[in-house]
Amino acid sequence: MADLLNKTNRNRLDRNEVWIWLNAGALALSLCAVVFIVLLIMRNGLIHFWPTPIYAVEYTNAAGQTEKLIGERVDINTLSRIQYIESGGDASRLTDDAQVVERWLFNTGNRRTNPPDFRWVYAHDVTLIETPAELAKVERIEWGPAFGRIIELRFDNADGSKRIVNDVELNPLLQNTLARLNSNREAIASLEHGTINQINAELKTIRLQQRALNLDPPADAEARLQQLASQEAVLLQTYLEQEQILSGLLKNLEGSALLLEIQSNAARLIELADTLYVTYPNNMGGLEKVGTFLANIGRFLSDNPREANTEGGVFPAIFGTVLMVLLMSVVVTPIGVVTAIYLHEYASQTTLVRMLRIAVSNLAGVPSIVYGVFGLGFFVYFLGGNIDQLFYADALPAPTFGTPGLFWASLTLALLTVPVVIVSTEEGLARIPRSLREGSLALGATRAETLIQVVLPMATPAVLTGVILAVARAAGEVAPLMLVGVVKLAPALPIDGEFPFLHLDRKFMHLGFHIYDVGFQSPNVEAARPLVYATALLLISIIVGLNLAAITLRHRLEKRYRSYE
Amino acid sequence: MALEPTSHESPVATNFNTSLLDSGKASRRTLFDRTLRILVTMGGSTVLAAIVLIFLYLLWTVAPAFAPAGISDNGQIALVDRQARLVDFNEAGDVLMRVAADGITEFVAVDSGAPLVAYDLGFKVTQAQRVYPTLDIYAVLDEKQRLWLVRASYDVAIRAGVRSVTPRLEAAFSNQFISLGKTDSFDVHLANDSLVIASMNDTQMSMLRYDNAELGLPLLNAAQANLTVDNSIEKIILGPRNEWVYLQDIDNSLHVYDITDPNRMRELFHTQLASATRSLTATVALLGRQSILAADDRGVITQWTVVRDDLGFRMQPIRNFELGSAIHTLVSEPRRKGILAATVDGYLHLIYPTSGNTQTQFAADQTTPHVNAISPRADQFVTADNSRLHLFQLDNPHPELSFSALWNEVWYEGYSEPVYSWQSSAADNDFEPKFSLVPLVFGTLKAAFYALLFALPLAVMGAIYTAYFMPAHIRTWVKPGIEVMAALPTVILGFIGGLWLAPIVEQELASVLSAFVMVPCALVACALLWSVLPNSKRERVAGGYALLVVPAIIAAIILGFQIGPWFENAWFGGDSRTWLREVAGLDYAQRNALVVGMMMGLAVIPPIFSIAEDAIHGVPQHLVNGSLALGATPWQTLSQVVLLTAAPGIFSAVMIGVGRAVGETMIVLMATGNTPIMDFNVFEGMRTLAANIAVELPETEVNSSHYRILFLTAFVLFMITFFFNTIAEIVRERLRSHYGNL
Repeated sequence: MADLLNKTNRNRLDRNEVWIWLNAGALALSLCAVVFIVLLIMRNGLIHFWPTPIYAVEYTNAAGQTEKLIGERVDINTLSRIQYIESGGDASRLTDDAQVVERWLFNTGNRRTNPPDFRWVYAHDVTLIETPAELAKVERIEWGPAFGRIIELRFDNADGSKRIVNDVELNPLLQNTLARLNSNREAIASLEHGTINQINAELKTIRLQQRALNLDPPADAEARLQQLASQEAVLLQTYLEQEQILSGLLKNLEGSALLLEIQSNAARLIELADTLYVTYPNNMGGLEKVGTFLANIGRFLSDNPREANTEGGVFPAIFGTVLMVLLMSVVVTPIGVVTAIYLHEYASQTTLVRMLRIAVSNLAGVPSIVYGVFGLGFFVYFLGGNIDQLFYADALPAPTFGTPGLFWASLTLALLTVPVVIVSTEEGLARIPRSLREGSLALGATRAETLIQVVLPMATPAVLTGVILAVARAAGEVAPLMLVGVVKLAPALPIDGEFPFLHLDRKFMHLGFHIYDVGFQSPNVEAARPLVYATALLLISIIVGLNLAAITLRHRLEKRYRSYE
Repeated sequence: MALEPTSHESPVATNFNTSLLDSGKASRRTLFDRTLRILVTMGGSTVLAAIVLIFLYLLWTVAPAFAPAGISDNGQIALVDRQARLVDFNEAGDVLMRVAADGITEFVAVDSGAPLVAYDLGFKVTQAQRVYPTLDIYAVLDEKQRLWLVRASYDVAIRAGVRSVTPRLEAAFSNQFISLGKTDSFDVHLANDSLVIASMNDTQMSMLRYDNAELGLPLLNAAQANLTVDNSIEKIILGPRNEWVYLQDIDNSLHVYDITDPNRMRELFHTQLASATRSLTATVALLGRQSILAADDRGVITQWTVVRDDLGFRMQPIRNFELGSAIHTLVSEPRRKGILAATVDGYLHLIYPTSGNTQTQFAADQTTPHVNAISPRADQFVTADNSRLHLFQLDNPHPELSFSALWNEVWYEGYSEPVYSWQSSAADNDFEPKFSLVPLVFGTLKAAFYALLFALPLAVMGAIYTAYFMPAHIRTWVKPGIEVMAALPTVILGFIGGLWLAPIVEQELASVLSAFVMVPCALVACALLWSVLPNSKRERVAGGYALLVVPAIIAAIILGFQIGPWFENAWFGGDSRTWLREVAGLDYAQRNALVVGMMMGLAVIPPIFSIAEDAIHGVPQHLVNGSLALGATPWQTLSQVVLLTAAPGIFSAVMIGVGRAVGETMIVLMATGNTPIMDFNVFEGMRTLAANIAVELPETEVNSSHYRILFLTAFVLFMITFFFNTIAEIVRERLRSHYGNL
């Protein structure tokens, strides 16, 4: 078509050319925006894991005194001269022709002892900025990281005296101790989540049985109550024993600390029990940085969140998201496939089919929040409430299924994504050449046999494409989940060692909601921002990955079908 | 991704009823064939069932909100004939208390009418009233002008599944009584631990204020103050937080006195509650005491509310109810802002002023009932004469909701004019919920408008280019690109909008706006440059506009940001936000409609693009060829043949886009401040229906009025999107068959 352009009237072309360029620009702008957003998230998400230099900075503060700080530089931006003056900046420190003012944002850590942790410093106020090799980043369980020089290590000896290490031994000893403490912490976690949790669950069952016996006493109530009481006593005894082991382990954590100089002349003692790991980013070689980068990514993917979700990893959110979409796909696949088969293989063009098509396009177009409202009202309160009345009456008024949870979230999202599966499956069915069906029928197969043995196997990749797209859609959906079962911090994973192992009634965490919650509801948004970008990067990689997989699959399918024709 | 298959040819119906099928195995096969057909048909219909179920369930949840209130007779309880001074329910509504003039206080079970317990107060009761608000404390005045504060408490025990209630009566504070001196009328109000007793003796008001009043402990250190007014006072009502007092005199005049400082009480305002030709028959304060309802002998109830604005403190009449005949009693609901009015002709009227809901019931045996009380849960009320209690069941769970409360301007308590307002909850219990959907619908339309303003040109023009001008090999790359765009989770777009874009737009407003101008300018400039290029050079990049255009756009945006500050200095006095506020009079919120428009625009581009592109690409090639063969330029062919043919498809794309924009939740939730204001200013935020549901539904009590209203908003959203989607689907269906016929 393009060559036609050249043969037409030049004058007319000039005006039209503008429109074509604008059209092309519209498309390019849309695509650029997407690419830009993806790149932005990648940059900010990955930077979170890369070890950044720790600066020691000397600057003149607003009052004209010299101050020092140690920290990571997390942002650089510029203000116009007017904005600078309006925000209380001192104009006399600027050169006359300076129209823009650069300022740096430092994260100085030490949130509790030395607030605020984020400080803006104007570049022109800085008198000295350097990256001494000995500066350490101390990642703590609570209160975020601390930055500074490690002066010494202190160990409590058995006789009450202290052993102080401040020589060349310091770092190896520190890393060894931290490794020991970390394995100790893991032992504690497995004890708490394993045995002790188990005992608590059994105690809860016994209490429920006792309550049921008291509410509606059968003839042998006394004997059964006594039996329960003795069981309870045994459990309590085990519990006490386990708790002793636990307190022993906890005691092991104590007794070591490091002294950290966080500014000149100011030092803080940090218990190693509160410390996760210590790194020296300024002293790292390239390879070491890559190692730390990968280790950080590993921790992010496998750790539990800390500090109101603003630190640590997102493992429970990944787990919750994956489990939810798996459950959802179990529900959505049969419904979607059967509807598509009906629409394409059985139905003739009747009013019912037209209504079905309108229903499908509406299911795809109804706002997701409406599904959430419906899920909350119908699934949770109506169905869940009735299930509780029928099967979990002992536990009432505490709801079991009558409260938002994993199962209801999966059902709600299944409803939401069913059109995706229908459309994709129907597309697949439409591509199967009619000759194949006719051949099968001509050989004497019934329509059902043709469907099951010829059509469906060929349509499987299309179904798979649909399910992948549905999963991608569900993984990114947040609004309905806020109503039907997602929480900011779930006390337990929906799968564990406790009967019945898969807890459909539990609340769960979700990557998308995690982004919303940490980015917008957390008390310290500035500190949480890198983690939000990292989570967004993870979510976007999953979703874009799934979509690309679906697109590739469909592309191959198209090629294969073309060969049948 | 387009939501329709490429074709719906249905396989030919075949009948292979051959001899093979006659054997036993064959009949099993036939049976299986039929069963599967039935199963698939049923399964296929589940989708239809789902959409109908969503519709019906939402409607079913919303419906009770608009059911009329019901009053039904619940029988009578006969009591010993005593002159009743006060009748009241307990919190659960299963026990009634009657304080009689001779000091006998009886407790009666509501369901059986059985007497539970009786106390003799030991003095004659001249007046008694409930002390606002939540605890069952009563102020009782005896014939020696001593005020007793007593508290009723109810011990509940469940033995063998049977619930039994034992009422107790005790002194609320450990003082015996408080001597008032001669008292015509009084009011006692406990607010924030401060107990105020105000009593009138003709024109003399005396006030006792006990700060730090604590139940069970003595009331100590009264601050006392006296005040003389000009006229005899008939009724005294203490105001909210004990900040002022309403005095109604015998000439229907209402005086409001500031009592925050007992030493400097002063009149804030006075007004005439009724004209001289009418006489007031009853006055009562609504819950929260922000407004006073005055009823007269012609059967008119007027609501007066306190307005404090630039003009100062005043009482403003905000609405009337005409009941037809003289009113002798007004009772306000203890936990809601509703009232019950009894008229002399024996009718009972249930009124909820905010929503204007009224419900009337004839109570045949009512002559002049002495006392009325509504139970705290507002599910029953009682009228009493000396020898019996007459109970009524009250079925009025959602008086707050009416068509006018949702869609019309409402004059709320404390407001100087009627407004549209959405404010569903507040920290205190006596707050008046404001359930106007207008600000939410406005916000929804505003967000959708700005999003479409941004998205429509980009999506439709992009679709035109992709479908009509773009070479096929680039097209196979662009479509997956748009699919990836469609897959971007809205939570991520919202997060980018709220945390990244909003601060940038705020800081670099002039630059962003100039980039908006620069991009089209740059494209036009490119086009002009292009058209002066010799043909030989142009042929080399034929069709690859999209590639050439990218650097132009990036350059334009960078240029926009470069000249932004200059622009700002030259035209906006150096700071565009200050300029907006002071010169243009526009407020600026960081998370505003501009940010939402851009981010939500990105979210609605893909669906519009896909459908529009399908429609344009689907225009039969012979139409295009015919037009070109007749000598039309490609652009003429496009604008006069292709776009005209594809117009219904583009229309349906726009409809789909509107549906998406109206229902999008996360982007609006994260990229606006979610303030329900009604301002079309692009630099202000908004609250949409969808975001409102996401914010409020998790914290709402199930089946409360608020819960049902949120379901109503979901229903409204459902209907709006249903409307747009159905139109889009029908138009597309027609277009497809139209293309088929071409």
